Amino acid sequence: MTIKNSPAEMADESRPVALTINGLAVSAQEGMTVVEAAWHGGVPRLTGVGCMEGVCGSCRIMLRRGDIVSVGLACQTFVENGAEVIFLPPASAPRHHYELSDFKDGWDIHARFQDIFPEAARCRHCHGCNVSCPKGISVEEGVMQASAGRFRDAGEIFFECVMCELCDGACPELIAPAHVGLFSRRVTAHFHLRPPNLIHRLEELRQDKLDKSVSYIDDGDD
Amino acid sequence: MTAMTKGIYFTEALARYRADSELGPLPEPVDVYALLNAYHPDYLRDSLVKLAVGANAGDSCQRELAELLQAEAFIDEADLAGTPVTDIDVLVIGGGGAGCAAALMAAEKGARVLLATKLRLGDSNTVMAEGGIQAAIEPDDSIQQHIQDTLRGGHHAGDPALVSIMAADGPEVLRWLIQQGMQFEQTTGGDLHTRRAGGLSTPRLVHCRDYTGLEMMRVLREAVIQHRSIEVWEQSPAVELLSNETGQKCVGAVLTSLLDGRLRIVRTRSVILATGGLGRLHLNGFPTSNHLGATGDGLVLAYRIGAQLRELDSFQYHPTGLLHPAHLSGKLVTEGVRAAGTLLVNALGNRFIDELQPRDVVCAAILRECSEGRGIRVDDGRVGVWLDTPRLERARPGLLEKQFPNLMTRTKIAGVDPRKQPLLTHPTLHYQNGGVVIDVNGATTVPGLYAVGEVAGGIHGRNRLMGNALLDIISFGRRAGAAATANRDRGPKKVTLEHVNRLRRALTIAGMPMTLRSPQVLPDYATGGAWNR
Repeated sequence: MTIKNSPAEMADESRPVALTINGLAVSAQEGMTVVEAAWHGGVPRLTGVGCMEGVCGSCRIMLRRGDIVSVGLACQTFVENGAEVIFLPPASAPRHHYELSDFKDGWDIHARFQDIFPEAARCRHCHGCNVSCPKGISVEEGVMQASAGRFRDAGEIFFECVMCELCDGACPELIAPAHVGLFSRRVTAHFHLRPPNLIHRLEELRQDKLDKSVSYIDDGDD
Repeated sequence: MTAMTKGIYFTEALARYRADSELGPLPEPVDVYALLNAYHPDYLRDSLVKLAVGANAGDSCQRELAELLQAEAFIDEADLAGTPVTDIDVLVIGGGGAGCAAALMAAEKGARVLLATKLRLGDSNTVMAEGGIQAAIEPDDSIQQHIQDTLRGGHHAGDPALVSIMAADGPEVLRWLIQQGMQFEQTTGGDLHTRRAGGLSTPRLVHCRDYTGLEMMRVLREAVIQHRSIEVWEQSPAVELLSNETGQKCVGAVLTSLLDGRLRIVRTRSVILATGGLGRLHLNGFPTSNHLGATGDGLVLAYRIGAQLRELDSFQYHPTGLLHPAHLSGKLVTEGVRAAGTLLVNALGNRFIDELQPRDVVCAAILRECSEGRGIRVDDGRVGVWLDTPRLERARPGLLEKQFPNLMTRTKIAGVDPRKQPLLTHPTLHYQNGGVVIDVNGATTVPGLYAVGEVAGGIHGRNRLMGNALLDIISFGRRAGAAATANRDRGPKKVTLEHVNRLRRALTIAGMPMTLRSPQVLPDYATGGAWNR
């Protein structure tokens, strides 16, 4: 059992932890997350807190512990003595633009990808994206797969992506890996997900509508 | 939260726990309504009051919510002078799944759309939904069965017209989501994989492992960001709606900014409220599974402009919120874990309820175990029961890791492994069953005002089934987006706060204190100077 070592368990002993958040000295307690510590310490102007369970990707922080500087999510980071934390501003607007409805078929998707994300092919394998990912995703590998046109595999690599866009900020080539990942996942579904059970039911409903004009069906599309 | 001091201490119960112990038979089922009456938080004494003013005067309402519905506004006419004005076809307030679906549909229909959201686009309860989305697509399932399950699960308090239209929309909603680029779990034959859930007569839950909401939200968020006709304002909560000269029609909203605190007027033909629920009001002192922004703002704005609300006394407490580890207090273990066969076990090592009963019944049963001394207690006195995940791991090795990566990841950072250690759980405030009264297009009783998603009511009756929330937000989100765009009147001549004055007069006559201002915007413990009331 790992229970004795869990930070939450030790929180009950209320050992104080001193750190700074956005430059303010905060006295927190062991076992608190950085979000809890920031509220506890009355740190003003916190607008980047969302789900508090690591899936919304909002509470982006930069953190220095000793000589080590890293980025992460505040709700997933426990306080440490001497740590310096800065809440990062929201990511800037994306610079890669596309609408799936502009793509007529899947055959030219590889060419379209290279038009939309020309930087992806220039990855210099610096691992900045991998190191910055709070979910431990092999971001670089995902970008490589997408560049090779293997969108299904690329998308699978990004499965746990929470759209914090910390990898975007870490990329010196401005590849926007998070959006490469999402592009890969979206085109995979858009062009290849054709489930027989769903298609069959949609057809039955269409027939119902024609035959019996079942009143509750109104797809609002036409 | 009374009688929470008894029970067996955590470490002692954990030492005593065995994943291979004999569980004994399930006790005889008790009368469901007696159980709910005795233990469900909706029925706690003193938790309800009667509303004194407004469209629901005389109706029962949770006390914490009533205080906000009958409070003073933040602004009056003087604040509008000199405030910058933006004109737009459709204003969507809220950046979760419902708001994004509404914005995308309105844009698809040709409207210029402004989507304003309190925090970051996608920061919502949608992103945390784990279990899945209901749609009757299996050969032995039908729209009719989906309707019946939903109405029965809601104790027949739902509006059959809304339930029917939502269930019928199910398959088309899935097609639309796939078109937007959302992935779902498939069988080896390529069918969409379906799961069982509490209150469903047949497997109907379509999912993306236990990240269904995240997958939906990141896809819709990207679609909205990329859409040429949708503008997004983040960190921009609505503090008031705007009405016409007679205060009878909604013609816009007043937004503020969490960054600079300045007001902005948005003038429009249609406003779509998609502000979500109110878990962060912590009704009856309960922890919540909800996102930080879930403070019931939409209910307050809608009520003040005269919209009818419903089931203000009915909330869903999800049976299995985490009690330990502490930093995840109130956060969910998806019902999918129980649907996969995980059992609930009390401190004595016994089962005490059929785990796949509707959520309100399971919740009441857990609270009964806790208050009768059969719970497991942690240091601060809170009590819960075991969700017996190691037993599931024994029976179906590898299933937790494969199907519930979200759960595994979240508990890992605190050093808890659900495959080896049962999870300590307690009911958590999860969902607002009622909300703003709407028709099948999401239109409220106030012209020009639409409401979709959790802020709207009438679909889930007095208890929502798993997987119907994700369906509800897309079904009605798209409908409202289309209907709001079809409204082609000439738009507002004048924007006023006549509705605010009207409610203020009513509050004065009723002798209400009017010391509190609303909407809440952020919970008090999280304001940190970003938002000062």
